[in-house]
Amino acid sequence: MTPRPGYDPASLVAGVIVIALGGLLLLDQADVLEVSAAYMLPAVLAAVGGILLACGLAGPPRS
Amino acid sequence: MSETEPTTPQPEPEPRRLTRSTTDSMIGGVAGGLGRHLNVDPLAIRITFVILVFAGGLGIVAYLLCLLFVPTDDPSAPPVKWGLARTLGAGLLAVAALAILLPDWAWGPAVPLLAVAGAIVYLLIRMLRDDGGTHAARVAARIAIGIVLVALAVGGLVAAAAGSALGGGIVIAGLVIACGVGLVGGAFRGGARWLVVPALVLALPLGAVAATDLDVRGTWGERTFRPGTVAELERGYEMGLGSLRVDVRDVELPPGRTDLPLEIGMGEIQVLVPDDLCVTTEADIGMGAFDVGDGEQGGIDLEVDEGGRVEPGVPELHLVGDVGVGALFVGNEFFDRHGPDRWRDSDFDTLEAGTNRVACLREAA
Repeated sequence: MTPRPGYDPASLVAGVIVIALGGLLLLDQADVLEVSAAYMLPAVLAAVGGILLACGLAGPPRS
Repeated sequence: MSETEPTTPQPEPEPRRLTRSTTDSMIGGVAGGLGRHLNVDPLAIRITFVILVFAGGLGIVAYLLCLLFVPTDDPSAPPVKWGLARTLGAGLLAVAALAILLPDWAWGPAVPLLAVAGAIVYLLIRMLRDDGGTHAARVAARIAIGIVLVALAVGGLVAAAAGSALGGGIVIAGLVIACGVGLVGGAFRGGARWLVVPALVLALPLGAVAATDLDVRGTWGERTFRPGTVAELERGYEMGLGSLRVDVRDVELPPGRTDLPLEIGMGEIQVLVPDDLCVTTEADIGMGAFDVGDGEQGGIDLEVDEGGRVEPGVPELHLVGDVGVGALFVGNEFFDRHGPDRWRDSDFDTLEAGTNRVACLREAA
């Protein structure tokens, strides 16, 4: 199956991860959730790792 | 004899109209169109927009206005519905929230520095784009660009951390989400991986601030309090940043428990108590250390619960501490930190191990 031209799956995955991380941070800052360091730091690291993995697996962006 | 050919009248050149470029476009083609209209390198226009973002959000407002009122150069091109909604919503929300939460952000001291950094980046990129440079010059230019970009990223990290700690966490989290939305939307338009960088520059320090519950709003500096009454004690003390010292040796505590609430965003809390006073402690420390008489302990996300049995009728000082990043000490003498390790030396006498425990179990007089 050929990927659609102009479609970058790495951006999509990275975007979803960034939105999830931003949502977690927003809930924490708005005092809706109390996220301790034991969860927050791994969440940030997992987000960075996931983004790097997505970009690595997808390869360089097509022009 | 030569004949002079009749000169054909040249048509009046059409006045150049400002339009957004569809061929040189990163978001909405504003910079590309402005550059073409003004005969200026669009890269310089883009860098200027970025710098003006840090001038009270002027760059965002100016860009949005251009996006709204400047037509595209290709009337057949589909309207930028999605991009407009995204940029308008996120941009206006960010500017409004920043203007309310961080009034000092507007025209802050970072703008001149950013302007200088932007000019350097522009000149270096121009050097790389023009093929006249030698190989060594191109390598040097790349290294210099890298250094400037790293410096800008570090500056962004510090600014985001400071903004988060000063209460702008919600705004910064919103900007992170906006970057994520941009990434998702950009995925269907060729990709927008560059948005990962600003997203992480904002999210990483905010994550660290959130993990440590750091909040440096309020007073700062070095303050020493010597309460004279129990009522003063019970009202508690709080500071944003610095050294909070409370000397309770002159307070005559009544029988039973007296709470002393203490809070600091970043820094240290020192509490001076008499040796024979029953002291119990309950504290949260995001990151740092504490010594309440049982030796020093440190780490991340510390929950201090130094309580135990207290004989009825014994005057008990119950410390309720909240430290974002820093330390909480209970001892007999204030100390000054003059270097990274000075606080470990003999300048400071923490409570003799177990003294306060013994005092708690001593029968009331």
